[in-house]
This record gives sequence, structure tokens and C-alpha cells, in this order.
Amino acid sequence: MDWAEKYRPAHLADLIGNKTAVLQIAEWAKNWTTKSRPLLIYGKPGIGKTSTAYALANDMNWEVVELNASDQRTAAVIERIAGGGSVTASLTGSLRKLIILDEADNLQGTSDRGGAKAIIECIKKSRQPMILIANDLYGLSPELRARCEPVQFKALPARSIAPRLKYLCAAEKIRCSETAIHAIAESAEGDIRSAVNMLYASAIGREDITDSQVHTSQKDERTSIFSLITALFGRASDDELLRLSFEVDDTPETIEQWVEGNVHHLPDQPSVDRAYRALSRADEYLGYTYRRQYHTLWRYATAIMLIGVAEAAGGRGIHARIMPPERWQKMSTAKKQKAIRTGTLNRIAGMIHVPQSTLRENYLGTIAMLVANDPAGYAKSMTLDADQLNFFLNDKARSAQIIKAIAQEEKAEEKEKEKEAPKKAKKEKTPPVEKAQETLPVLPAEEEPVEKKPPAKTQSTLFDGF
Amino acid sequence: MEENNTIWIEKYRPARLADIVGQDEIVERLASYVKTKNLPHLLFTGSAGVGKTTAAVTLAKEFFQDNWQRNFREMNASDERGIDVVRNQIKEFARTMPDGDATFKILFLDEADALTTDAQAALRRTMETYAKTCRFILSCNYSSKIIDPIQSRCAIYRFRPLGGDAVKEEIGRIASREGLTISAGAMDAIVYIAQGDMRKAINAVQGAAIISPTIDEKSIYAITSTARPDEIAELLTLSLKGDFEPAESLLAQLLHERGIAPNELINQCYRALVKMDLSRGLKVQLIDHLGEADFRLSEGANSDIQMEALIARFVLSSEKQRQG
Repeated sequence: MDWAEKYRPAHLADLIGNKTAVLQIAEWAKNWTTKSRPLLIYGKPGIGKTSTAYALANDMNWEVVELNASDQRTAAVIERIAGGGSVTASLTGSLRKLIILDEADNLQGTSDRGGAKAIIECIKKSRQPMILIANDLYGLSPELRARCEPVQFKALPARSIAPRLKYLCAAEKIRCSETAIHAIAESAEGDIRSAVNMLYASAIGREDITDSQVHTSQKDERTSIFSLITALFGRASDDELLRLSFEVDDTPETIEQWVEGNVHHLPDQPSVDRAYRALSRADEYLGYTYRRQYHTLWRYATAIMLIGVAEAAGGRGIHARIMPPERWQKMSTAKKQKAIRTGTLNRIAGMIHVPQSTLRENYLGTIAMLVANDPAGYAKSMTLDADQLNFFLNDKARSAQIIKAIAQEEKAEEKEKEKEAPKKAKKEKTPPVEKAQETLPVLPAEEEPVEKKPPAKTQSTLFDGF
Repeated sequence: MEENNTIWIEKYRPARLADIVGQDEIVERLASYVKTKNLPHLLFTGSAGVGKTTAAVTLAKEFFQDNWQRNFREMNASDERGIDVVRNQIKEFARTMPDGDATFKILFLDEADALTTDAQAALRRTMETYAKTCRFILSCNYSSKIIDPIQSRCAIYRFRPLGGDAVKEEIGRIASREGLTISAGAMDAIVYIAQGDMRKAINAVQGAAIISPTIDEKSIYAITSTARPDEIAELLTLSLKGDFEPAESLLAQLLHERGIAPNELINQCYRALVKMDLSRGLKVQLIDHLGEADFRLSEGANSDIQMEALIARFVLSSEKQRQG
């Protein structure tokens, strides 16, 4: 058995890092009632999300029902497995069943048809604790997000990974040099599973691991991209530069962004100009490559960008910390914005039966005004979340308030219904009113009650970011 | 005479791990997996013809001995790229018990970077869930096209393009088995053409051997329709000196008499140019000219006109450089 499985932490107390998140989860479990919202654990790969869920079940003596992307997750399947698990009591005598829905951000279009809706249904009906796991919070539909309690897991610092590796070495009776441990912990980039796998791969059949034996099984290329950038500003030959770029094993786009991210380290403006001239020409080749799907052109992009920037640098070296492209940080914020935007536009485009681009160009202004006139009504009929409503209103606090009010209203309605219908309600196959409302995609705008609230003042900034 | 008609890239595919040339470090690690009967999931990255598939197959053979075909399955992801293949075929193979006394099976997924992101996402839990019965070996050209959650589950082995010595060693072995005489010049030509790809090297040799068992430089260049490096060097030198007419006639000779494809010529010029000792400013311009010509050819432009224009641009750029 590989070590990542063998040493998967059995108890919450064995987990490395993310203390507050783990505490939050333990609290959630301790106080769990049938009214509790499901947990949504999200974060990078290999930092203990799935392990946490299993360790929790173990600690609580809960049975586990797991569903992941390698299973087909159509509405029917989810209903059968999780649905069954979620309402019926367990046979094995353990108190509860923990339903783990791994890779919840990976419901696939046609193959998982109805999956997202089924999960929501399942959450609504469930009488059992449920944990959803995802890498990307925004890969989930807003309805789903709104129904869960999010818990973020962060990447682990190398100094937390190293002691765990040492522990594994001791347990497996392997001697591993301090530098080797350090090298593995560093290159795993916060991904402890990758670190454990690296250690395992270099340890098989050995009793000693030295740092030179570690490098064959590294996850990441960051060391090489750093050496490429250093060489680029230094005195490497053209041939050497191209060889390094090949070994970096990243696409030319990524290399281009790294190069661009560090061009400002050049000491004078004329050099920066020359570097940008080379970069922009290289960039054109990248454009051709994709437009024409003719990958031979890649090499011209790489050569022009590297040799051109090296010419501008003139072997003067780099005298600053080499940083990842600044754009990437901006992009991760932009990515969230974009997800919100496309999600919202998609919904409306579907409702009024026009393509997204046409909607954006011709109708968005009208719709924005309509939404501003009746935010609550539209939020309800289009099942918008706070972020999406904010896209129209551009007033975070107010959007959040409106959505909160709707949620409370819905809860009250549900309670009302529960009171009305006797206990059998949970076995009903078609929950009447509410589901019907959700599956009906179109609620014509004209039927909406007009002017419940005064128009927002800030709508002029709606088109920001387009 | 069936023996003579087999394709050599299969006939001489190494049968044991130890026979793989040019990847010593990797082979050593893989061999120790066999010795300890222990195997993590693996991810092989590297360009074509460097031994990824061979490493996977020989590894399986040494793990399972006579049972290897029943416990080893090879799939090419570029044929079946969708999520259903992961959910059906791959899962089906992974979940069934290994045959004989093997403790697990091996699934080799070639060109895994061709799998859609969805399919890769589905694969990641399959790898973990069935790790007891099945180990995965994925191979790809760029590891950056494999999603992080999978990389995080694999030990990564980076196969380098084969060095000249490795190519020569293997070709030498084949030559003695086939009774070929390969001149030293021909060996260098094979290395030049192969560009680190053993399959290309073996293919060139088999092509030449069909014509004659005595192989020289010329026959290698002829069979692969490539120009000799010295011809390329001359073409470049002439155009950079500004001798348009001699350069033009050499170009015509290579294209029309020798039948070398314009793309191949551009390719060879590129390889020679990046290594040439020129000022970087000029070099970038010249590479740009090559790229422009390559792009135009790919768009369906007339190759004669574009190639002549390429030479003309070379002449102009170098002239400008000389004038300062």
C-alpha cells in the first residue's frame, strides 16, 4: 500500500495544519442536528480535505457513504445512494451516516445530468450529516454554495510538512538526510500528499535517502523556471536557454508570463523597451499557434522571447527576488469575478432565450434596470446569490441583506409546510410547490411586481469589467 | 522471410528494463520497485521516442513475469478522451482482482494529457480507490497538462531526450545484429536526424538498410529527405554574407533536386541558427523571418516564393546589421 493511504490520518488530532478549520469541523459535528447545514470543505489538492472527512467519521463513530467523480452522478444515482443513505437509518449500529460528496465541483455536463439539482434535493431531504469537498469554491453552483457552510483549507507550509516526513521515515525505518527532507517539503508546494508520495517513491528499495536521489520525482518545476529566469538575465548561451526552456516542461505561455513578470528588473528603459518588443513578437506567434493549431510555431515564440530578452538583459544578471507573474494574483481575483459574471449571464440568457453575447450587447442594460427596481423578486425567480445580485446592484451590503431576507422567508415557508403536512412528508416523491418553482426556468419579467424598492443609485458601474 | 519484414522499432524494443538506454537513473529506480515488489502510481513525462512506453511495458513484464499480459493493460488516451472511458473501461479494469499471485495490476495510460479535464478529475479518485488492486502509469508530453490532483498522486519521472551516445549505442547493437556496416559519419547523421528520438533513429536506419547493408552519411540524409548540416550552414552563411544568387541556387537545388520539403528546410535552418554565433539582435530577426515563412506556408502560401523571400529577408537583415 502506498504511504499516502497507509498513513492517512485516522483521527482529527493526527491531521497536519489547518487547525482552525479542523476545529470548526469538529464543532460542527459535535453540534450536528438534522437542521445543520452541510459542510463544504474546499482548497488545493493534497492538503487533507478528504482525510479530514474520514477522520471525522472515525472519531464520531459515523459510517461513511462516499460519492466521487469517478462514479456517475446523475440525479438518479445520487438519489439512490446518498438519498437512501441520507434518510434511512444505518443498519450496522453506528449512530449516523456521514455522506461525503467528493469533487463536488466536478459534476460533468451530460454525464452527470441533473446531478447538481439532485445534490440540492438531497441536502434538503437529508437527515444525516453531509460533507461536500471541492478544489474550487466557485466551481460550484451558487445555489449549492448558498446551502453549505464553507470551510477553507489552506496549503501547508514546508515547516509543517517536514516533521510529518521525518515521522514517516522513522516509522518505515529509513534514514533520510535533513536536506532531502527539506527539498521534498519545499518542492511539494503545500501539497502534503505529493510530499508523502515523493518520499515513498524515492524510498522504495532503499534504506538511505540523500538529496541527490530525491530530484527524479518532483512534482513541480519551479526550481527550473527560476534557473531559466536566472540564466536569461545572466550569461547563458542561446542554446543553453532553449535547453532550459525545454526542461522547464511548462508551456511557452507560462514561460512568457514568468519572463514578462520579471522584465521590470531590467535596469534602464531602453532595455525594457527592447525586451517588450521581443515579448510582443513572441506573443504573436503564440496567438498564431492557437488560432491555427499549428504547434511548430511554438518554437519561434520561445526562441524570440528568450534570445530577445537575453539580448536586452545583456548578461547583467538579475538583482532582485524572482517573482511569479503579478498577473496571476490579479487573475485569481478576476477569476472569481468572471465566474460570477458568466454564471449570471448564463442564467438570464437561458431565461430569455438569447445567446450570451447578444444579451451582453443589447439587453443587459434593460435587465439591470429591471433588477434594480425589484431586486428581491428577481433574486428569487432567478435564484441569484449575493455575489450575483451584487453584479447588478453593485452594493455588497444591500445584496447580502436581500439574499438573507429571502433565505429566511424560504425557511419560514418550509417550516410552515412541515407543519401542514404530517411526518410522512419526507417520503414524498415530488415535493410540490417549491420544487416546481425551482425547475421552472422562465419567469417572464413582465409578471414581476414592479417597484417594491427604489432604484439603486449605483447602477452606472454595471458594465465595469466587461 | 517474415523476419526481414518486421518493423524494427518493434523488433528492437527493449525486452528488459536493463536494456533501455540513456535513462539510467530512471531505470535504476524502476528496477528497485520490481525488487521490492512495491510500486507507486507513476507519471512519465517526455517527448516522443525516449522510452516511456517501453519503460512501462518492461516494468510490467518484470513485475508479473509470465502473467504480465493478464495483469497489464495499455490504453491510449488520445483515442478515447472522454469521461465515460474513465468511468467505464478504466474503472472496470482497475476494480477487478489481479490474476495469479500478483498483488495488483498495472494500467498504462498513454498520452494522458489528451484526457479532458473532466476525465482527469474522474481519474483521480479511481486511482486512490483502487490503489490496492491497480497501479496507474500515466505518460504525457507535458506534465503541465495533467491536473494538479493527479500529479499530487504520482511519482513523476522526467524522461530526457536521448543523448548522442545512447542513440549510437542502440544503433550499434542493431547494426551488429542485422549485419550492417554504418560509417562514423552516418552515425552522426543518425544522431542529428533523431533529435533525441530513438524511434526516428531506428526508422532511418531500417530505411537505409533496405537499400543497402552498407550505410553511409549520404544514404541516411537521402532516405530521410534531410539536408546535410554543412549544406544548411552554407545556405545560411551565403545569405548572411549577402550573396543572394549563390544562396538562391543552393536553395533551388535542395528543394527541387533533392526533394527536401520546405518545412524540413526551415526546421533545419532553425536548428542551425539558434546555435550560430551571431549578435542576438540579428538572430532574433532571422528567427522571426523563419517563423513568418513557416506560418505563411502553413496558411497555404506558395513555397517557392516564400522560401526565396526568406533568403532575401536574411540578406536584407544582415546587410542592415553590417551598416550598423
